[in-house]
Amino acid sequence: MMATAVDTSVFKTLHKSEAWMYTNVSALAKIDFTCNSDIDEEVIREFDIAPNNPFVVFANGVFQETLSRCIEGIDINTNSVGDIASRGDSQIPRGESDTVTITGTQRTTIHILHIITGNDPTACFGNVLIHAAEGETISVAQTHLALDACAHLFMPCTEVIAEKNAVVTLVKAIRGSKEAYHLGALHVVQHESSTVQTNTITLSGKCSRNEVYAYLDGKHCESNFDGMYMLGKDQLIDNHLRVEHNETNGNSREFYKGVLDENAKSVFTGRIYVKEDAQQTDAKQTNQNILLSDDAQATARPQLEIYADDVKCTHGATTGEIDDEAMLYLQTRGIPADSARTLLIYAFLNESLDELTDDLFRNVLVEELLANLPGGEFVRSLYL
Amino acid sequence: MTTPLLEITNLHASVEGTEILKGVNLTVMPGEVHSIMGPNGSGKSTLSSVIAGHEAYEVTEGTIIFNGIDLLELEADQRACAGVFLAFQYPIEIPGVSTKFFLKAAVNAIRKYRGQEELDAMDFLDLVEEKAKSVNLNVELLDRNVNEGFSGGEKKRAEIFQMAMLDPLLGVLDETDSGLDIDALKIVAEGVNKLRTPERGFIIITHYQRLLDYIVPDFVHVLLDGRIVKSGDKSLALVLEEKGYTAFEPCGCGCSCA
Repeated sequence: MMATAVDTSVFKTLHKSEAWMYTNVSALAKIDFTCNSDIDEEVIREFDIAPNNPFVVFANGVFQETLSRCIEGIDINTNSVGDIASRGDSQIPRGESDTVTITGTQRTTIHILHIITGNDPTACFGNVLIHAAEGETISVAQTHLALDACAHLFMPCTEVIAEKNAVVTLVKAIRGSKEAYHLGALHVVQHESSTVQTNTITLSGKCSRNEVYAYLDGKHCESNFDGMYMLGKDQLIDNHLRVEHNETNGNSREFYKGVLDENAKSVFTGRIYVKEDAQQTDAKQTNQNILLSDDAQATARPQLEIYADDVKCTHGATTGEIDDEAMLYLQTRGIPADSARTLLIYAFLNESLDELTDDLFRNVLVEELLANLPGGEFVRSLYL
Repeated sequence: MTTPLLEITNLHASVEGTEILKGVNLTVMPGEVHSIMGPNGSGKSTLSSVIAGHEAYEVTEGTIIFNGIDLLELEADQRACAGVFLAFQYPIEIPGVSTKFFLKAAVNAIRKYRGQEELDAMDFLDLVEEKAKSVNLNVELLDRNVNEGFSGGEKKRAEIFQMAMLDPLLGVLDETDSGLDIDALKIVAEGVNKLRTPERGFIIITHYQRLLDYIVPDFVHVLLDGRIVKSGDKSLALVLEEKGYTAFEPCGCGCSCA
């Protein structure tokens, strides 16, 4: 199907609400977005990084059958997003668009590429539903790639259902143009003894907001929502999470870290909601920022809302410069100060990428990180 | 006459305005092992930090001449390149970077400084194999992130391994024995002994005599309140063990009349 036009009027006043107070996207309301830009298949093929894995491609919101490799359990339809997305209070517009639904136990990581391209500002949705039934395991690597120096707008919506004992791993990477906007929402429902691990990696974009709404509806859920970002001049990242513990014995962890250079801004809002009956909840939230410039700015807002009395909830936020002791350690090994600094920034960010289980996907992100990192060439020279 | 490897003269150093070192004199000739012993707060770790080039310590008086050059003029990384190695009491953990990766940066920075060709991956890994074997270190440990999750013994052995890789002229070991059980201590000492050559000197900083049973020093110095109050041969360490540091408290007459 064709992508549908986008009503951007909502962006005019969003920043007047508490949830958006640090992220002003009113400029979007003035842009006349198209959704019909031409697509060059050859360009898209360059981003097919895992030729042996299933691959699902959307260009400007439209499913690309000839470029994709779908297997059993991957279905394309035109459903609009489902019930889970309606549970939260996300104000990001949702719309009908080609949607991929992933079910069944999947042996290899499924790669999904959402590409947005065109000489004029282009907007699209991009809906994904991942449904792991009882005991099933699904791993998905999702890339949002904006090409061309243009104010493109992504508004993807990903829904995850993890039933009893299911395991879902999802990596989302935001790559490409530093002019693009990314307003994405991830909605997760977990049932008893399920495990969900998500990593949201933001390496690009002018303004990216990654919302996570998680509902731990079953007992003994394991939930890790992690994120990493590296941004520079005129870039903003807003990670906005709400984790709801609705049942007992849930463990949730949110670990977000990033490096901000020049006048980059980071906002982290982490709401942990623990329902009255959700005893034995263990929730932990961490946001770490390294600022490389006096103009960079990090805002961390932990919000704990706890109605049960036998729970463990902790939060911690750090904002600082490179650790002096670590610098000295590297320098006493002969490494000059500028190289030592580069290596420590790389180490700080790479710690997040080390966690990713899909080698091909991780390698691409390491490369993109090194391309953006001042002194990245030096780090590349150390590869063995 | 042979040039001293290290010549410290009347060294005074402060941290945040408090004077810690109050006139240290020490000469290390090539091939010598000097042990510096002293109680907590006597300035032992400050001395090692000042030699290594820690910026938090301000040298207010005195000189350190290393191998004929003024060490205090150099940044910490330049000192390492010139041949000074500090084994840390608490080696820093660096998640996100493997030990091999980190050491390749170090080895090549030092080679570049010394006008040698940088090692490619192949030659570097050969060197790692060779040096790991020489200090009895499991190579697999080096694929893990720098010091992350290492046991106390593994951290100290990794420091000795790094020293072997970087091939310094002077090794300064800051309380390398702290937190080690006797077996780990022996392994570390064995590694250090293998690195002893007629050219290379060592400064071994320690609280306890125990380490010196395994790394036998040529000289032992007692550091008290920022000054070396007594120097002697290895038997001095035994006296210290027996009598404690209080026997060396200065009497106020300016000498070290223990």
